[in-house]
This record gives sequence, C-alpha cells and structure tokens, in this order.
Amino acid sequence: MMVLVIGGSGSGKSAYAEKAADSFFKENNVDALSAPRSDMTGSMKKYYLATMQILDEEGRKKVERHRRLRDGKGFVTIEQPTDICRAIDRMETGERTVLLECISNLAANEMFSGEEAVAEKEVVDKIISEIEVLQRGTTHFVVVSNNVFEDGINYEETTMAYIRVMGAVNRELAAMADRVVEVVAGIPIMIKEQE
Amino acid sequence: MRLVIGGYAQGKLDYVLEKYHLRENMVWDGHLPADEAGQAGTVVINHLHHWVKRRILEGGCPEEEILSFAGKFSDCIMISDEIGNGIVPVDPAEREYRERMGRILIRLADMAEGVERVICGIGQTIK
Repeated sequence: MMVLVIGGSGSGKSAYAEKAADSFFKENNVDALSAPRSDMTGSMKKYYLATMQILDEEGRKKVERHRRLRDGKGFVTIEQPTDICRAIDRMETGERTVLLECISNLAANEMFSGEEAVAEKEVVDKIISEIEVLQRGTTHFVVVSNNVFEDGINYEETTMAYIRVMGAVNRELAAMADRVVEVVAGIPIMIKEQE
Repeated sequence: MRLVIGGYAQGKLDYVLEKYHLRENMVWDGHLPADEAGQAGTVVINHLHHWVKRRILEGGCPEEEILSFAGKFSDCIMISDEIGNGIVPVDPAEREYRERMGRILIRLADMAEGVERVICGIGQTIK
C-alpha cells in the first residue's frame, strides 16, 4: 500500500501521515499475530525518513523538535537528505512501514546541493526512480508532499523550475500511489482511492 | 462550457486533453479566438488567468468579455490556475488581479455545466 499525502503548511498533513503509517503498522501486527505468514522473516519496523538538511542552528532545533514529537511513537528515524533510496540499506529485513517526509525538502536538496541547480527532468527522474526502489522494498509506504502551487506568484526562474519539479514529482507519485489524500485544516479529503 | 482549475504545474492541460480526447491544436494559450469562423468542435482556452491579467493591464473589461465569449462558445473548456491561495500581495495591482480573477472564476463556475479541480494530475469534480 502506497499513500501520497499532500497539504499546505500547517494543514495537519504530517499528523495525518503518521496516523496512516501507524494504522498500517498495527494492521500488519494483528495480521501477523493471527495468521503468521510463512514467508515472513525478520522484524516489523516503522521507519521515518527525514529529508531535512541540517545547515545551521535553526535547522538543528527544528529537527530536534520533530524528533521529540515522534519520540515514543515507535519510529526508527533515518536521516536521508539526498539519494533517498539508500535508506533501504539501513532497514532491517521483514515488514517495513515507511513514512517519507517530505518531497519539498528532498527536491530542494537534490536540485540545489551543487554549485549549479540540477536540470528539472534529471531531478524528477532521479527522485521517482529512487522512490520506486523504496516502494518495492517496503510493505507500507506513506509519502508527504506540499501544496505550493496556488499562490499565483511569479517567482524568479529557479524557483519556478523548483515548483515545476515538485508538480511533476507529485503527479508521478499520485499515479503510482494506491491512495492520494489532500489534508485541509486537518481534514483528509480523498483524491484517489484504488480498489 | 466546462471550467478546470488547479494550482501551477498540476497537469491540468494534459488532464483535459486526455479526458475529453482533444488534441493540442484545439488549444488557445492565453488568448481567445476572435470569432466562431473556423472553430469546429471543442475550444480549449488554456492559461485563462494570463489572458485576464493582460486584459486588466490593457484596461479592458475581462469580466464582460469572458462572459460574452462563454455565451458564444458553449462548446468550450476553460483552464485556469488557482492563484488566490497565498499571502495577499503588497502590490495593489497584484491584489486587484487576484480579486478580479477570483470573481471571474466564480461567475464562470456558476455558468459552467461542470467544474473540475486538478491536483497531482487527478481531477475532482466539484460541480
């Protein structure tokens, strides 16, 4: 099961995504207890893939706050600001529930980490192919992305290119996902639900 | 007339072309065809918000013009960005554009047989 969660800043998308990951995780555990699968070896783990690049004190504080918020919720945190598919090497075998937060950080890191901005198509293709690796390697996969498309502002070209990258990545993720949810004022609105 | 709205880079045009089996040569980009002559089949107006912004700058009356256009071309799909979900701009001209654009979309949505909102390439029928 793959879920794409999208929303504006402060919309409650992270909280919703955590709950979704949690519900899959519990579902899994119940299934495993009542009817153990013979092909299931190893552990059942819930992972949080954090994409924020820590560049300064402000960033460090933000990451610490997020870590505290997740404390006690049973997530194993993996910091992976770029090359997101590498996170899979740091997961144990067995059932994996993964929460990836978020595409806006990942896209910015992939696009702007070098001296020059990486070309749009290259960034989109890299992110999508790496996320496909994660999708294949996980049992349940929740991806969080942002709605940054509706303010009508004409930013300078680099920013417009970044917004287009986000748009293209979101469209591809939505096509891959079994479920797409937009969170508005904490309320989940179903955009796509695959039977 | 149908109205399709959504944020920047959400795949609105691709969505329209695929869903309504239309070709790109039926698409008017930021312009309205002047008359019905030579307009066979569905007319698609893409980037309607660009046209509105230009008409405001030119001192035109996009409100009246677009309603009269929609009256003439009933077999028409209008595609516009949603531009109002951000901070209200400091620049008065940008504020006026958002306000008038929003009011135009309301009137078009009211007239339209159907309104769809596209997010992540997926359309939701909202009317």
